[in-house]
Amino acid sequence: MKRSVSITRRLVITVLIMELASAIALIGIVTVHEWRVRMKAFDATIAGTTQSLMGAVQDAEDEADNVMLDLTGVQLGNHAIYRVVDEGKRVLGAEGTLPADTPVSSPGFHNLRVRGRTYRFLVFRGIRVIDPGKVSGGVRHNVEIVYGVPAGRVWHEVLESTRFFVISTVALLGITALVMAWLVRKGLAPVYDLAREAEQINSSEWQFEAPEEAKSTVELRPLATALESAVARLQRSFEQQRRFTNDAAHELKTDVAIVKSSLQLLSMRKRTPEEYSQGLALSLDDFTRLEMTVQKLLTLARLEQPMERNSLKESLSCALSDVLDEAVYQSKPLAELKATEVTVDSEKNVRVAIDNHDALLLCSNILLNAIQHCRDGGHVRIALLGDDQAARLTIQDDGEGIAEEDIPHVFEPFYRGDASRSRKSGGTGLGLSICKAICNRAGGSIEIANHRAGGVLVTVFLPILSLQPEPTLSGSIKAR
Amino acid sequence: MRVLLIEDEQRLGENIVAALREVGLAVDHAQDGEAGSHLAEQGVYDAIVLDLMLPRKTGQRVLHDLRQNKIHTPVLILTAQEGKESIIELLNAGADDYLGKPFDLGELLARVKALIRRAKGVSTPVLVVSDVELNTVNQTVTRRGNSIELSPTEYRILEYLLHRPRAVVSKQELLEHLYDFDWEHHSNVIEAHVSNLRRKLSFAGSEPLIETLRHRGYRLCGEGSR
Repeated sequence: MKRSVSITRRLVITVLIMELASAIALIGIVTVHEWRVRMKAFDATIAGTTQSLMGAVQDAEDEADNVMLDLTGVQLGNHAIYRVVDEGKRVLGAEGTLPADTPVSSPGFHNLRVRGRTYRFLVFRGIRVIDPGKVSGGVRHNVEIVYGVPAGRVWHEVLESTRFFVISTVALLGITALVMAWLVRKGLAPVYDLAREAEQINSSEWQFEAPEEAKSTVELRPLATALESAVARLQRSFEQQRRFTNDAAHELKTDVAIVKSSLQLLSMRKRTPEEYSQGLALSLDDFTRLEMTVQKLLTLARLEQPMERNSLKESLSCALSDVLDEAVYQSKPLAELKATEVTVDSEKNVRVAIDNHDALLLCSNILLNAIQHCRDGGHVRIALLGDDQAARLTIQDDGEGIAEEDIPHVFEPFYRGDASRSRKSGGTGLGLSICKAICNRAGGSIEIANHRAGGVLVTVFLPILSLQPEPTLSGSIKAR
Repeated sequence: MRVLLIEDEQRLGENIVAALREVGLAVDHAQDGEAGSHLAEQGVYDAIVLDLMLPRKTGQRVLHDLRQNKIHTPVLILTAQEGKESIIELLNAGADDYLGKPFDLGELLARVKALIRRAKGVSTPVLVVSDVELNTVNQTVTRRGNSIELSPTEYRILEYLLHRPRAVVSKQELLEHLYDFDWEHHSNVIEAHVSNLRRKLSFAGSEPLIETLRHRGYRLCGEGSR
């Protein structure tokens, strides 16, 4: 199984990582800042102590007006190292040993290592005037002070405050994670609601209305509406399927009922041989109709199966004009019966990618329909045109036309606008559905409309395979 | 007895009509809901066989309108539709029986006859009034154990009268219930048939069974037992 991905976890982790990164940056900045502030304060303390040391340089009260160091009241730092030297290189006072590399010549702060510890030293040169009140103006002494204390203390303090920051950040992160998880879960509630609602859908319960909350959530709205329309589409096609199955069952049952009742009627009592043979002939007719219904249903089922491969589609090819001639030839008996004239005006070499048999089915279905609905002694006009993209086949009768409200439904299986004209006229209500299925399969289309001049005009568009430019040939077949 | 068949499927209709006529019923055939509704509302039928999927007016509508108009003719629904709900719905809407297609013709005939019988308050197929016995299954008549040969019309007149003992049945009523539109008929025909029937039923020493009431019609006398 693939590892499942949790949006909640992702969100929380992302936020936490962001938070952690900014916390680390903040801690870094704060640490540097802290270090600088503390260093300044430290340096100030060192400078202060150095000044105190300077102040502690006193008149030695001797003849030479020498100076001495009086440390009374001077606070020195722990582990402090210092040395006070006068201009005569006389050490006035010292503690600890100065490292050998002390840059005494350059005043200022220096970091030096003393016995493994980092010290901060201040080298200070000052002038101490003894007896300034005297006429001579006193004796001036150049005093050099080197004072150092371990710098580790500063680092320690900085680390101390940093640690405080780190601990509070970690605590904050923990709390944030918990609150985030809860909030995100709560924020995702519409998703769960939507899922729960969607779970209710099944083939018998097609009600699906996305919860209001999901629809008012910007991120969920596309999903909710997509789900709603998908369910609606599915419902429609299910409904269509169901209706088709019901209608087919109805049709078959009716045909079976006819056959059965014919035979049972015949066997109700003893009859004369003439009655028997007449009854059998009727039963056979009834049976033929049942067979036709079954055959058409199977044809429709076959046509509605998706084509296996495109390559197969390419291998199909038929000359539509030849097929038309064949259809006209086949319909001759009916045309003669109704004294209908059928004229064909077709371009040769219009080749379409349909199986020959299907093409004939298509043409003869439409043609027979047209002849049936023609008035007696009427006229059916067939025209076939082809350009470089599509073949256009029109079949027009001069009958009563079709009721406008029936037009959207005539291609539905078993649809009968006026039942009195379909069953009686021998139709199963599948002919036009089969035509539509053939056209759809070939990537074409079929339309039906009332002609201005009266009668029905059926137009078929089919994608063309090739059209060799040849003179148009007109043919007229009179079925009279 | 006269039955109305409302069925749009022509061949099926023809077969049912033929079968119903074979068992001695007068049958009218309507091929769409509207025509069927019109005929049914005349109230002259003893039973109606109704298909559901009808052009112009559905069977459900026909049934609804019929009951709305206070016509209580028993209705047998004939349909190829599936589903228990529709059966329940139809029975609740006033249908009396239900038969799914494809059905057995014999069953249809038996059910139609049973419906007619029930509607007239008879529960067995053998009608007995006084000493006359009529078997609606075999279509035989006996009086005091003696078998009596009747013509189909005579049989039907007797059957109708036996269904309504002691009631006055007018000639008009007999005409309406015994003949369908396909038959040429006149009230004189009834008189001739009734007189024949009376003759065939009379034995030495038997009481006259059918009484004629001038300008009113006929009445079957004698004690009936059902």
